[in-house]
Amino acid sequence: MRKLLTAALTTAFVLPAVAAMAAPPEDVVKARQGYYSLLGLEMDGLAAMAKGEVPYDAEAAKAHAANLQVMTTYSPAGLYAPGTSKADMPGKTRALPEIWENFPKVGEKGAAFREAVGELASVAGDGLDALRPAVGKLGGTCKSCHDDFRATDF
Amino acid sequence: MANQGKPEAGAPAPAHGRTVTLWDPVVRLFHWALVISFFAAWGLGKFGPDQMTLHFYAGYTIGALVVLRIIWGFVGPRPARFTSFVKGPSAILAYARHLRDRRPSNTLGHNPVGAIFVVGILLVLAVQVGTGLIGDPEDYVNAGPLADMVTIETSRSALGIHELLGNLAFFFVLFHIGAIAFYKRWKGEDLVTPMITGKKVIEEPAE
Repeated sequence: MRKLLTAALTTAFVLPAVAAMAAPPEDVVKARQGYYSLLGLEMDGLAAMAKGEVPYDAEAAKAHAANLQVMTTYSPAGLYAPGTSKADMPGKTRALPEIWENFPKVGEKGAAFREAVGELASVAGDGLDALRPAVGKLGGTCKSCHDDFRATDF
Repeated sequence: MANQGKPEAGAPAPAHGRTVTLWDPVVRLFHWALVISFFAAWGLGKFGPDQMTLHFYAGYTIGALVVLRIIWGFVGPRPARFTSFVKGPSAILAYARHLRDRRPSNTLGHNPVGAIFVVGILLVLAVQVGTGLIGDPEDYVNAGPLADMVTIETSRSALGIHELLGNLAFFFVLFHIGAIAFYKRWKGEDLVTPMITGKKVIEEPAE
């Protein structure tokens, strides 16, 4: 009887409350990792050209850069919902709690990233010698943020 | 070495001491090249630019030096050989018991306790180079050249080990420098000059 009552009360009060809350942390993490996977896919193609693994292709480089530019117009605020750090969800994410403790610095890293994407987009079609340093600089902005705000391992 | 342990011909012996040839040029060159490349690699890794090309070059240099030293440890002159300085626990303990004596050890080579450091730092650096080669920080520009040969999970773990061992190696080096200062100040034994000139002055007890 008591169990039944608990179940009934849970169904009546707790579940609607959960449903009204923001997206479940697992979904936020999944979306966040998806966002960076998209960035990574474009970077992969650019880095392969920069490293000479595939021949330079101006049109492909421009397409990668244009996609990255689209990504910079996406507001990542929702991807950094509270309660979704590595401390909250160990083994699920490498996002360090420092992100939520120092948003201004995270913002600076983001600005550097957007700036590097802008520079890359302006030179992506100008040949391999122009592309290479721009890809290097962009990758550097990835590292700069990873160093401070992402754990090396899960 | 022909004149190993023998008085240096032609050089006047200092008062209360005789000079012996200890470290061959390869060991000395290895040592100081490693000092430079280690601090370069460590400093660039910690504080260097986000495009880590120079860190990579420093790491390749360390890798080459470690390989050279290991080969030299088998074919080099006697003081450079592993068989001459890697000792078992009893010899290590016997040496350690006299570590606090206020007199020079006069060891002609690496002493049994120092040998632990030599083998330890070579091992740490070998693993450090290996994990650096397969590590991938997922920034598309600083991936180790062999990262593609392993899974991304392995690359991540390698990078985690790489960061830990970088700190460990740094503390090893601090400890090494501390030990040299201890030998100089407490035991009155100069370990630095022989690593520069190759020659060691053996202080003999005053008669």
